[in-house]
Amino acid sequence: MSPARVSILGLVLVVVAAGATGWVLSIGKQPENRVAVAYPEGLAAVVPLGISAGHAPPLAVPPDNPLASDPNSVEEGKKLYGQMNCAGCHGYDAKGGMGPDLTDTEWRYGGTPIDIYKSIYEGRPQGMPAWGNTLPPNTIWLLVSYIQSLGGTFAAAAPDEGDASPAAAQGQGARAGQRQ
Amino acid sequence: MRRLLALFGLCLLPGGCARAPLSYLDATSPIGGAIASLGWGLTGISVGVCIIVGLLLVVAIVRRRAAADTAIGPVNDRLALRWIGAGVGVSTVVLLGAAIWTLVTVHSIGEPPRNAPLTIDVVGQEWWWSVKYRAADPAREFETADQLVIPVNVPVKIELTSRDVIHSFWVPKLGGKMDMIPSRTNVTWLEADKIGDYRGQCSEFCGLQHANMAFNVRVLSQADFDVWWTRQLQPAAGSPDTDAGLNTFMVRCAACHTIRGTPAGGILGPDLSHFGSRESIAADLMPNTPENLANWIDNTQTIKPGVKMPELHMLASEVSDVTSYLENLK
Amino acid sequence: MNRAYLAALIFTAASPALAQSTNEANPAKSYSGATADFAGAGAPGEWTSQARDYANTRFSPLTQLTTDNVNRLRLAWTFSDGTQYGHEGAPLVVGDTMYVVSPFPNTAYALDLTKPGPTIKWQFDPNPSPQAIGKACCDAVIRGWAYADGKLIYNLLDDHTVAVDAATGKQVWRTAMDKVSHGVTMTQSAFAADGKVFVGNSGGEMGVNGWLAALDVGTGKELWRAHAVGPDSDVKIGPDFHPYYPWMQGKDLGVKTWPAGAWNTGAGASWGFVSYDEKTKTIFYGTSNPGPRVPVQRPGDNLWTSAMFARDPDTGLAKWAYQFTPHDQWDYDGVNEAVLLDMPIDGKMRQTLVHFDRNTYAYTIDRNTGEVLVAKNFAYQNWSTGFDMKSGRPIVDPQREPKPGVKIDKVCPPDIGQKDWEPPAFSPATGLLYVGVFNICMGLTDHEVSYIAGTPYDGMEMQRYSADGKDGNWGGLIAWDPAHGKKIWEIPEKFMVMSGVISTAGNLIFYGTTDGWFRAVDAWTGKVLWSQKLGSGIIGQPITYMGPDNRQYVAVAAGVGGAAMVQKGRDGFLPRGNTIYVFSLDGEGIKATGDSLPAPVISSDSGQ
Repeated sequence: MSPARVSILGLVLVVVAAGATGWVLSIGKQPENRVAVAYPEGLAAVVPLGISAGHAPPLAVPPDNPLASDPNSVEEGKKLYGQMNCAGCHGYDAKGGMGPDLTDTEWRYGGTPIDIYKSIYEGRPQGMPAWGNTLPPNTIWLLVSYIQSLGGTFAAAAPDEGDASPAAAQGQGARAGQRQ
Repeated sequence: MRRLLALFGLCLLPGGCARAPLSYLDATSPIGGAIASLGWGLTGISVGVCIIVGLLLVVAIVRRRAAADTAIGPVNDRLALRWIGAGVGVSTVVLLGAAIWTLVTVHSIGEPPRNAPLTIDVVGQEWWWSVKYRAADPAREFETADQLVIPVNVPVKIELTSRDVIHSFWVPKLGGKMDMIPSRTNVTWLEADKIGDYRGQCSEFCGLQHANMAFNVRVLSQADFDVWWTRQLQPAAGSPDTDAGLNTFMVRCAACHTIRGTPAGGILGPDLSHFGSRESIAADLMPNTPENLANWIDNTQTIKPGVKMPELHMLASEVSDVTSYLENLK
Repeated sequence: MNRAYLAALIFTAASPALAQSTNEANPAKSYSGATADFAGAGAPGEWTSQARDYANTRFSPLTQLTTDNVNRLRLAWTFSDGTQYGHEGAPLVVGDTMYVVSPFPNTAYALDLTKPGPTIKWQFDPNPSPQAIGKACCDAVIRGWAYADGKLIYNLLDDHTVAVDAATGKQVWRTAMDKVSHGVTMTQSAFAADGKVFVGNSGGEMGVNGWLAALDVGTGKELWRAHAVGPDSDVKIGPDFHPYYPWMQGKDLGVKTWPAGAWNTGAGASWGFVSYDEKTKTIFYGTSNPGPRVPVQRPGDNLWTSAMFARDPDTGLAKWAYQFTPHDQWDYDGVNEAVLLDMPIDGKMRQTLVHFDRNTYAYTIDRNTGEVLVAKNFAYQNWSTGFDMKSGRPIVDPQREPKPGVKIDKVCPPDIGQKDWEPPAFSPATGLLYVGVFNICMGLTDHEVSYIAGTPYDGMEMQRYSADGKDGNWGGLIAWDPAHGKKIWEIPEKFMVMSGVISTAGNLIFYGTTDGWFRAVDAWTGKVLWSQKLGSGIIGQPITYMGPDNRQYVAVAAGVGGAAMVQKGRDGFLPRGNTIYVFSLDGEGIKATGDSLPAPVISSDSGQ
């Protein structure tokens, strides 16, 4: 064979090999639905007595939304918001109805990402259903992403912010029992 | 080389292709039959033309000119002109004939007969098929998924749409392809000549699991079909309070799946009413057996990565309860 | 021109006007000739049931307040119950006590009217489950309560019916009726008649199975329950059922007019008022919209939703039924009240019921057979191009039929109708019905929905706005002639009129607007004689009663909520409230007497 033909053959082989390697690598990657986020058990209940009553003990790592950097999560969350009947209670515009307004800054049970995650997971006393047994963690985080995109939520508290964090200030800001 | 040719020839034989479920050359339907005939006919004509031209070429190459005839100049050869004229004439007639035949065939299969007695709505979504049986009496309408059951020798009108991207509905042995386009309803039809099971396939690339988006078409006699329809209308028995499997199903699965007769009414995933009588799981991905079903529930994302059905990491007891409940939904 | 000729011309031209003004100034002739049986009302000075009587006339025979003196009406006293949801019920006055039940948590109060108001005799806290709050589509309200057999009987939001001893405030019985986890709540006003109390569930937006039940007043035991969907045995349809129109004749239509199994989540909840004809022993009530609210998921007529039933109160068996909106596609519930009136139609005296439906048709129906005698629009609508009297069905405009994912810009009325549950009043003098109405439309997009128990089975995405364009009039009060199907006059209002209406023998009509105006109006002319702005929008039902001091009082709750909240974003909309306002002439009432007032005690070291 002539040198030209050899080099062409070599090029073709290299391209095919590269493609095959890429394919092999991609099927080994875990698909998105498998993102595993451990539900931070033990976060919920402990409220210390004394001067700092009302503040949960600060966590070592603030549980922010693990899908925060996923650009599709808001769109996927919005679809789920309609499909899981969230829109039926909270409105197609999320401005409330049977359930509270999700676009404002008033959160009865807290408005940081992990607070909203827990409200969806556990359900709440005035009729919010508990989705934790039905929806996996990734799905609930998608819904949280959508709610965060509405603009009324608070950032997760950093461990050293303590009293100054907006999450802590919510307790004073939210008007208890206030109806719109 | 010879072996290759032999293999090629074998492939063309209907007998060889009957074992392939997606072979449209071996149709068992008037639609498929018309398409297949046209296909064979055009192939025959093309092969014939190739042979004739090939022969003429060989003859022209082999048949030399007379040794003395070396003159180069314009030749007024009426014979040659006659050959050309004949060739053009024959080609025109044959091509025109083929064109008319094609158009007539396409027209005849394009629309269902005016009074197709059965209409089915099929909605494609990533990556399964929602199938809704329509009837004049609303109480006889019901929904199922990933399977079509139709009576033999009856034209069935299919109305197609999609909930997300473009899919395409194709049962090779029974009819032609038709795209399923969101916000639009396309109409196609099927008619089967023989009782049996036929495979359908999505034939428009629609995402990660396009290759695993298939469905089964079961053709029954009219009497068996009526029995099947009546059976599908029966609600499931049992209540979540008494049936552990149904109770687990309500907690884990009911937000996305419907089982008629129970409080499970989710429409995000396939309707699972009478699941025990279905041929396959997950859009014809694997046969419907208890082991496959348990595996599917446990390892959904490994078997069909990217589907919307999540892995809930259920307890083994939950999986076995739900599996036996579903398999008992005959 | 000849002067005499001119005078004659003027006189002739003016005489019709003169004749008319004579009629108005000397009100003798009723517009409709309708009369009512006021059976079931207590003493003239009492208000013992939400509608005052079994026929639901809401007419008071009191004459102390008249069109001449009503402008002297002033506030006498108020009572706030401290809750935050919409206040829809009418206070009851039995003897010298006023009975009030608050919205969630449904606390009952007995107020002593012989003492300066408000003085609480007793208070009953039933402690219903707060889970029910999140299942109530339209606010955690209670639409009324009943008094019977010395007991105050009412529904709790969490699906119980409770009876409280009216003298002591202790619970006598409590009956569990349904499950909150299935999305069912109860906001309906319990109705007492014939030794029984009739209660119904809510949940038309939650895919429930709707029903009306009868409980024994003494024990709370359930006597019968009639569903609105399902086989004839559930719906209590037997051999004596005779619907007038053919599409309601047949077996098990509560199953057959739905896709397989869909009736289980078909709703048809009965959350409206009940009427009772004592002479024929028949109760009348309506059923809600079908579930889901998105019609494409449930082809068929969807019986027995958006319909009215006439039933035997002892057995619950249906006598007839009429479906106002077959295969309802816009949430036009059929629960609005039936006012039982007898009137001449086409020269013949008929025993009828009058019903202002959510679909904007005012029906006059023969209450013995279910035949529609009159069906005319009482406000603006565009979903129907007419009513076919022969088949008894409205004619649907195909352009207003929703398809999932496709927006229809203007459907009138919206889901809440041009009249919701707010009840009208009848005046036997004028023969007219006075009805609070809306004037609104919606943009609508339907979405297919899953049924997930305890969540809405809904799918309607809506924007509501005034039919008059941007910030036009959202409502009004109309005077309606039910024999001829005609509107006589209308008072346009900037905000929806969602209060109950009452009429009195003093020719007064009282009603309130959802931006807080409480008005007294002349029953003949519609002239507004008195208005007072209250602290919150009014969606409650007013009452009028005679106090122990022989004074006529008018009372109404001002606490906006419920469906009136669709106006939340409008300028002038007031925040929530929870106060009952009681008015009297010049604000007179029972004053604190000398020895109940504190006397100052002089300190010993004051040097005196």
